[in-house]
Amino acid sequence: MLHPNQIAELREAVGADGLITGASQLQTYECDGLTNFRVLPGAVVLPRTTEQVQAAVRICARHKLPFVSRGAGTGLSGGALPAEGGVVISLARMNRILEVDYANRYVVVEPGVINAHVSQRVAAQGYFYAPDPSSQSVCTIGGNVAENSGGAHCLKYGFTVTHTLALEVVLPSGELVHLGSAAPDAPGYDLAGVFVGSEGTLGVATKITLRIVKRPEVVQTLLAAFDTPQAAGQTVSDIIAAGMLPSALEIMDTLAIEAAEAAVHAHYPKCGGLLLVELDGQAAEVETLMREVRALAEKNGAWETRLAQSEQERALIWKGRKAAFAAVGRISPNYIVQDGVIPRTALPQVLAEIERMAATVGLRVANVFHAGDGNLHPLVLYDRTIQGQEEIALDLSYRILHLCVDSGGSITGEHGVGKEKQQALGYMFAEPDLATMQLVRCAFDPESLANPDKVFPRPRLCADRPGPYTPHPLETAGVAEIF
Amino acid sequence: MSTAALTLDEGLARLGAIAGQAHTRVRGETIEVAPANALETAAILRFADQNGLAVSPAGGGTKIGWGNPVEAQIRLSLERMTAVREHSWQDMTCTVEAGCTWADLQTELAHHGQTVALDPLWPKRATIGGIVAANDSGALRLKYGALRDLIIGMTIVLADGTIAKSGGKVVKNVAGYDLHKLMTGSFGTLGVMTEVNFRLHPAEERTQTWTANAADAAELAEPLRALLDTQMVPSAVQLRAGKQGCALDVRVAGRGEAIKDCERRLSKIFSEIGMAPSGEAVWGVRQELYDAANATILKASMLPAEVCSVSAEVRQWAAAEGAAIECVAYAFGLATIALHATTDAATAFPERIIARLRARLRPTGGSVVVLAAPDEIRAGLDLWGCHSDALGLMREIKRRFDPNRILNPGRFAGNI
Repeated sequence: MLHPNQIAELREAVGADGLITGASQLQTYECDGLTNFRVLPGAVVLPRTTEQVQAAVRICARHKLPFVSRGAGTGLSGGALPAEGGVVISLARMNRILEVDYANRYVVVEPGVINAHVSQRVAAQGYFYAPDPSSQSVCTIGGNVAENSGGAHCLKYGFTVTHTLALEVVLPSGELVHLGSAAPDAPGYDLAGVFVGSEGTLGVATKITLRIVKRPEVVQTLLAAFDTPQAAGQTVSDIIAAGMLPSALEIMDTLAIEAAEAAVHAHYPKCGGLLLVELDGQAAEVETLMREVRALAEKNGAWETRLAQSEQERALIWKGRKAAFAAVGRISPNYIVQDGVIPRTALPQVLAEIERMAATVGLRVANVFHAGDGNLHPLVLYDRTIQGQEEIALDLSYRILHLCVDSGGSITGEHGVGKEKQQALGYMFAEPDLATMQLVRCAFDPESLANPDKVFPRPRLCADRPGPYTPHPLETAGVAEIF
Repeated sequence: MSTAALTLDEGLARLGAIAGQAHTRVRGETIEVAPANALETAAILRFADQNGLAVSPAGGGTKIGWGNPVEAQIRLSLERMTAVREHSWQDMTCTVEAGCTWADLQTELAHHGQTVALDPLWPKRATIGGIVAANDSGALRLKYGALRDLIIGMTIVLADGTIAKSGGKVVKNVAGYDLHKLMTGSFGTLGVMTEVNFRLHPAEERTQTWTANAADAAELAEPLRALLDTQMVPSAVQLRAGKQGCALDVRVAGRGEAIKDCERRLSKIFSEIGMAPSGEAVWGVRQELYDAANATILKASMLPAEVCSVSAEVRQWAAAEGAAIECVAYAFGLATIALHATTDAATAFPERIIARLRARLRPTGGSVVVLAAPDEIRAGLDLWGCHSDALGLMREIKRRFDPNRILNPGRFAGNI
């Protein structure tokens, strides 16, 4: 609970219509897309300007109140989960596109602007904003910056960080700083590069300069049906080995296809492994490459290859893919979405191992993945009404992440660590790695007020100076030279 | 080395005990030490930190003069850490030690037709660590992005000897803070990189470069704008402006009919000025700017649409002073400008140009960093021209990473 004086100060900062304190209204903000963690915030502020954000953050700093900034709340790792008794800063009302500069190929937006609106705004001039998380029709740029969001097309186009040129940031002290610039290589440390993906733990972005990209001349989307996801995976490896860089390479397994079909009738072939390949670029080149892709698919046993014949057909294919998470709700009452990354070459073994692990505990796992960059989204299906099953499902999902790390990969490719994967981060990184990251945190936020108790495995205080040197676990294991 | 607590001989003995006497030597007042791995690097830094000795990490030494001068007691050479640790060609990633030269890495990657898609200066001598620390990039950045977009992980040794890893060996990864982005371009002031993980691209198999010539850079502005507004994806585009006039170079890579297709489109865009095939040699001109004796070399950052106009302006400013400049400007907004002082204009000419250019670029977020200059000119200059309101935050980061200021103290922007 916030003190009435604190409430009064916040009201002063953002106006009465920018403050929420009623218990029932606060419930809207008690979780994000990861709904199994819920915390009621002390208050929600809805600033309309950078100055109001600054004022609200200064109040938090003065009273040492934790704050959590929030966009559309679509995050899947609990990044926008409120801090107990803290303040949620909703950026939803800061939703203006402030500047569009085609000559220099950038836009300046406020954090509450919806991802897809950026592309819509610049579409008439033939441009688009490349990062396209599946939630792009509702998620905000501020949230994308916090999570360093990817999407299906980042294999070729990169992530949010690749497209973020500059940021205006309110630091946890309330101080305003400008990181990066629209012109390349601003002198000094690349703080914009560090801020993107810091999951709201370093401050609040209030203005974001994004790169926009010329829409490719042609886009061709191919569906190829295989008997197994492994055969689809081999095709992906062959495409990459042939020196191609498709704009997207997606694989879905039987369960995921079934779910997507039930939800949006995408007319996917019924098969064990569906591969979606998208190539874009100049017409002459794309046609040549697509012929090679088809040949590789057929060599690996594709029994149907289907090229989208119209923009509508292409859109439907993607609609099915992007709806796959939510669609799983049609074939299972509950499910957990995971976000592991593995080296592409580990795909066959990892898929087989996931299947084995799931079978051992009697659960089903649907697989949707950005195969080009090895980003797996295993969907662990379960039924909460069956006693104990949720725990088993959670345990399985974490063991899958450990498997990804053991295979040389990562616990998260685009959803972020948030609340959900704090412990898993400790599995992926050793104590010295985490302590070094903490140095950055403490420089930005010495009081640990911005999204506290997220990302890192245990609450850490900046007063903790790193202790005497401790050897890296790989050193003590005698294999230091391999990392 | 003359701290109260330690003599040069003692330092030499202690460092020799860590890295081996064969890899430790005195040169002037500096001890040069070459550790074999991250562990020895950690031990050296820990020793330096405990004794308050300034350390200057060094690779090939090609850019060691960039930034403010550092009086280091220890020169930490990465010359023994040159291995390409891993080339997972099917995953299109690699791990390489920081002392490996750029050319050696690329030779190794070429066995599988792959590359780190960057064209830095002096590839035969420059090392991975030095290139990353200086955030060097060439013309290819237009298509493939900056160095920070190509680095997926790193091993860093901090001043207190902590060995930390950041990122990983997969391209897509948002776990933890991206320390490797902080390290890229930090000029050795936060830690010593010992290994870097890169994402790779297929090497460009077939390429073609065309060149359009004009008397003045301003004439090239409209075709350049038109070119970048098309759906062509050239791998490099640069403007050259100098004594002999101006030229725009365009390189395209592609398969099948793609290159011919580009040629048709380019010939339309450049129909008035004319464009002809040229050779790969034009992409070496940025490096050639550094060959001129007594030149002052600037890295100027500007909005992409200003590349032609700024180059033309600087050329005019110089001409008005009876001096000359040479400029190689990449289409994404980075230019290398060489100022050739005439004997009578002496030091004042570069200083005036720099001040004028900074004033011109600053309102749109641009900047000018002085990379190289004759000593007498350099002494009076603010090399970095950093006016960031985040400088306080940068200093705090430095303080947290290197509280005793042993790593390249004062070399970086804001005397960090």
